Amino acid sequence: MRPENYKPVQHSASHEYELYFGPNHPGIEGNYALKCVLSGDVVQSLRADGGYLHRGFEKIMEERLWIQNVALVPRICVPDPVPMEETYARAVEMLGGLEIPKRAQWIRALMLEASRVCAHLFYFGGHAATMGMYSNMFWGVTDRDLILDIFEEITGARIYHMYITPGGVRRDLPEGVLDRLSKVLDYVESRLPEFDNLFFDNAVVINRATGVGTLTTEQALSWGVTGPNLRACGLPFDVRRDDPYLIYDELDFDIPTETAGDAWARTLVRREELLQSIRILRQIIATLPKVGGPIRCALPNPLAWNVPAGSVYARTESSKGELGFFVVSKGGAKPWRVHVRGPSSMHAVHVLERLGPGSRLEDVAQIMFSLDACPPEVDR
Amino acid sequence: MSTDPNQAVACRTVDAEERSLLGRVLDRIADHCRARSLFVLHYCTGCGAIELPPTMTSRFDLERVGMQPMVTPRQADILLITGYLSVKTLKRVVMTYEQMQGPKYVIGLGSCTINGGMYWNSYATIKLLDRYIPVDNYIAGCMPRPEAIQQVFLDLMGRIDRGEAQAWKDYYRRYDWYLGQQQQLFGTNWQAPTDVVGEAIRYRLVGEQTLGSHTAHLERYAPYYDQLGIIRPEPARMKARPQLEVVSR
Repeated sequence: MRPENYKPVQHSASHEYELYFGPNHPGIEGNYALKCVLSGDVVQSLRADGGYLHRGFEKIMEERLWIQNVALVPRICVPDPVPMEETYARAVEMLGGLEIPKRAQWIRALMLEASRVCAHLFYFGGHAATMGMYSNMFWGVTDRDLILDIFEEITGARIYHMYITPGGVRRDLPEGVLDRLSKVLDYVESRLPEFDNLFFDNAVVINRATGVGTLTTEQALSWGVTGPNLRACGLPFDVRRDDPYLIYDELDFDIPTETAGDAWARTLVRREELLQSIRILRQIIATLPKVGGPIRCALPNPLAWNVPAGSVYARTESSKGELGFFVVSKGGAKPWRVHVRGPSSMHAVHVLERLGPGSRLEDVAQIMFSLDACPPEVDR
Repeated sequence: MSTDPNQAVACRTVDAEERSLLGRVLDRIADHCRARSLFVLHYCTGCGAIELPPTMTSRFDLERVGMQPMVTPRQADILLITGYLSVKTLKRVVMTYEQMQGPKYVIGLGSCTINGGMYWNSYATIKLLDRYIPVDNYIAGCMPRPEAIQQVFLDLMGRIDRGEAQAWKDYYRRYDWYLGQQQQLFGTNWQAPTDVVGEAIRYRLVGEQTLGSHTAHLERYAPYYDQLGIIRPEPARMKARPQLEVVSR
């Protein structure tokens, strides 16, 4: 069509205008769009427009064998894939009544916490980038790469590991990897003062992020907010402590909370959680060499594995919030129904649509990043 | 714009045989410079985008070969398709691709762009990317490592330097075929707000398959097509179903 033939839709005179924010926009996180109605630069209303990353996971999983789905589940959430593998594997184990060996449980906890460190380092960079501060992003992404190297050594892949399978883990840890992980953790911890100087003690950042996207505790509870976003409102709920899985009841860690509930509080909570994850990882590094035994329990032939009938809900604390898998089996070779309860579908759709109105246009990206929403997990 | 294709502004994209010696030398210099200053469009269409921050930032540092993310399609040279495309995203990708100015290059990142990859039986994603837009390079893997992404960028730079990365011309020469494939997904009234046929005339890239049965509904907007002496396909050929053939690169 030629431009002179293009007839725009005529609107009546108004002080409001509509702005499409995304999907092809550097301020948006991933492939996701927001339709904003603005007056000046103040957001009047905001609609989330998802579906750009829809792959139909819940349907595809019904068409594949139980063991084939192990390769599929980490793809649901790209920045933090390990909790997906863990939750699916645990759901299948609960259905099949499998007992996971102790050593596999410790290795799984190690993978989960290392993945949380990765996700939070990525988050610091992303949140700073929405304020136009790119040094932080360069640092966060580069430090995260050191942990990806450890992942690669353990599992053979940087992002999608497919390492946690029903019944245990795929292979044992290579020799010396715990020492190297320990060195990486020392390095990440030694970098935190530099992050503080640049980001966490920076007056510009504090002024920019304070009071943006404020959630009250009541709102957070009624809108289904979980994870660090809920703890930033002052409610110390953590699945690792309140519904312990694997060996988390044997570990010693704190649940950091803040009371303000705004974007800045959410960032501070994640900074504290990074330290707590490092603390957990140090305990695992100290204990893991003493825990012997197999890394996988005896499984039936995975290609002809009929998981007993039943329905379970398994949940995990991912870096974004509570992640749950509701799996129904009818005793067949494939799942009958899988539902993924992703934390981001609450944060990026319902919460964001309600936090948006009244904020400034330049803060919309910051609110979305501070909620740590993950579009692939929203759309699935 | 002149309405006579032979009087159209001489741009560097005409066939090499038609260019003068000086024109060809200038083309060669322009290609050499262009290969070392590529802007990558900042559009994360899928999960492959998670390996782009490590590739672009301090560790692997693509800026040392002159690459940088660019936020607007009009100033970008490379469109990276980072993984699977749902039909909803494909519509935005086609509109983005048509807004980019030639010469433009498309890289399909990950197995999903090649054959559907992990989502080969998904109802929501497309399986073969080069049915909808021409693709210069593919990177296999799920997901490709930063080293693989770097390798493909270097390969693309070499091909641009040698004047071999010409896939984008195929979109103009066979626009009718590409539009037909897009119409199968988006409906027969689908059109992007870009005048691709007008651009094809301007670039002098009108081929036998630029106009056809699928572009027929665009012609009511441009009655001047008839006066241009554009080679039109035979009526019998217009009815025939377009053949699926390998894109000549």
